[in-house]
Amino acid sequence: MASPGEECSTETLAFMELALEQAKSALSILEVPIGCVIVGDGKVVASGRNRTTETRNATRHAEMEAIDILLEQWQKSGLSPSEVAERFSKCILYVTCEPCIMCAAALTILGIKEVYYGCANDKFGGCGSILSLHLSSPVPCNSGEVQSSKGFKSTGGIMASEAIFLLRTFYEQGNPNAPKPHRPLAAQAGH
Amino acid sequence: MNNHLGSWQIVHIPDKQPVPPGQQPTVSMFASVIDPKHANTIVRRLNQVAPLEGFRHVKRVQKKFLEGGKTQLSVLICLACDNDTQLDNVPSHVQELINLYQLSTSIVKVCKYAPMSKAEWEEQCKLWPTSYHPPTYNIDGITGFNEEDMQLVFKFMQFAVDLATSGKNRVVNAAVIVDPSVKQLIASACDQICAWKDKTSIDYSCFLKPESITSDSDSYRVAAHETVLSNGLSNELRQPYTGVSCLYPWRWTEKQQYSESSCYWHPLRHAAIVAIESSAARDRRLLPDLGNIRIKSFELDPMKASPTSSPAKRQRTICDNVDNDESAGNQIFHMVDNESADNQIFHMALARPYLCTGYDIYLVWEPCPMCAMALVHQRIRRIFYAFPNPNAGALGSVHRLQGEKSLNHHYAVFRIVMPEEVLHRCKTDVAKTV
Repeated sequence: MASPGEECSTETLAFMELALEQAKSALSILEVPIGCVIVGDGKVVASGRNRTTETRNATRHAEMEAIDILLEQWQKSGLSPSEVAERFSKCILYVTCEPCIMCAAALTILGIKEVYYGCANDKFGGCGSILSLHLSSPVPCNSGEVQSSKGFKSTGGIMASEAIFLLRTFYEQGNPNAPKPHRPLAAQAGH
Repeated sequence: MNNHLGSWQIVHIPDKQPVPPGQQPTVSMFASVIDPKHANTIVRRLNQVAPLEGFRHVKRVQKKFLEGGKTQLSVLICLACDNDTQLDNVPSHVQELINLYQLSTSIVKVCKYAPMSKAEWEEQCKLWPTSYHPPTYNIDGITGFNEEDMQLVFKFMQFAVDLATSGKNRVVNAAVIVDPSVKQLIASACDQICAWKDKTSIDYSCFLKPESITSDSDSYRVAAHETVLSNGLSNELRQPYTGVSCLYPWRWTEKQQYSESSCYWHPLRHAAIVAIESSAARDRRLLPDLGNIRIKSFELDPMKASPTSSPAKRQRTICDNVDNDESAGNQIFHMVDNESADNQIFHMALARPYLCTGYDIYLVWEPCPMCAMALVHQRIRRIFYAFPNPNAGALGSVHRLQGEKSLNHHYAVFRIVMPEEVLHRCKTDVAKTV
């Protein structure tokens, strides 16, 4: 799975740079700074950043934003579900933080080809940290015809320190959307 | 009204995978047969020098009935180390006791954890007697279900089942988000993976009081021959229900019948996701953005573990009283004029619900990992579902998110056990009334 030591191609780094740009634009408007781009045929076909604060919908992660753009675009150009699936199966996602369990599950539903991520997500990660949804799942099927997830290739640690820096900046200035803490800030102010 | 109570059941789905009763983890302990004359003295002494800490469910003394009407008493002496059948490591006080009464020790297996069910308890007692206290559903400060709670829970679940079966052709999953403190519906939705008219057509008209939900007692009358299962947790449905997104999340590519041009389709618009979206939209509408108020608050860096963070609970305030009012936001703003702005802003911030904190969701099927994690993100308090999801269920069937300790929020999960016939009820009712 994650092999940060592996040499990344300049292409990988360039796309991750674009994902980081998305994360920075989120930070500038007080959203959790996570961003992504989806690449098909060597070109960026969609990009997204976290919009949970603005929407008050905690599921509006960067990946979901980018996915929605693609689904709308492709349907407007008249693609059928199987054609859309075909396109997703050739797409690569570059995201600054490991997809959470929700997004990783969504990516298996769509059948994306591959994911490159920045830092690991020790709390919610769905590509190895908490669950490993990217691995194809042998579904315990009794009917014998239930489809299962094909999984996707997942590589972490791409420009992780840049991604962490943005998140740390965000959490140090305080998440305006988080609930009021019980204990006084001073007690936790160390880091 | 009592019809359904006899047949529907609320079952807590625990954080840990229940093991088959015969495969519970055990530990080794030293035990010895004792002379009944000395039983009191030995037990009292053992409780002083070798209390069974961490094994409160284990009984110290075992009584066996032998042939000829005789009884035999055995006593647990102390924990034995793994692979250590000798008494070398036994504390000296215990050793003295063994010598004094000339006990001949042997190793016995004892169940490590307290039994969670009667079946587990019966299995445990085959090894060594334990005590069993039936659960009271007092989970993480969530109180048990009294008669009134159960009526309400069943009513909302019935509403979800009605939604799920309201389609012309097939059964889908349905989600109903409820604020239990005021017994109010917050949002409801069905699976929308094949027909999603327009982004603007999200249904906001969900402000039913529970009273307005169909509640004639007949609607709860269900087949009397419910198969009660040994663990109450698994039963196979006779039909495949291929329209249920969470059951077949990977099947969307096979669908060809989406061709209506005015409709979008979307493989990720499962009922729970749509209901969350609807609830967030309601939130934005009732409580408009308060501008650039920065509430100094704190959430730990997601990169680090957070042993100290405790989930802040939703503050319940004036908003509940004005929830039904379209101009709730405006009312709050009016009040700002009367008080010092800073103080008022602070109150407004408290008044605003944080996502779905404190809310419950009712789902007809156990959600897939995408939906289950979405409900973690949105801070749902309790999940009730009716039918398990053997293909992709994330609340016990395949994964068990409520037991993933690293997540920053945990909900309590309950299954409402009901017969499959409820899924066919609506169609026949419609047929009757037409």
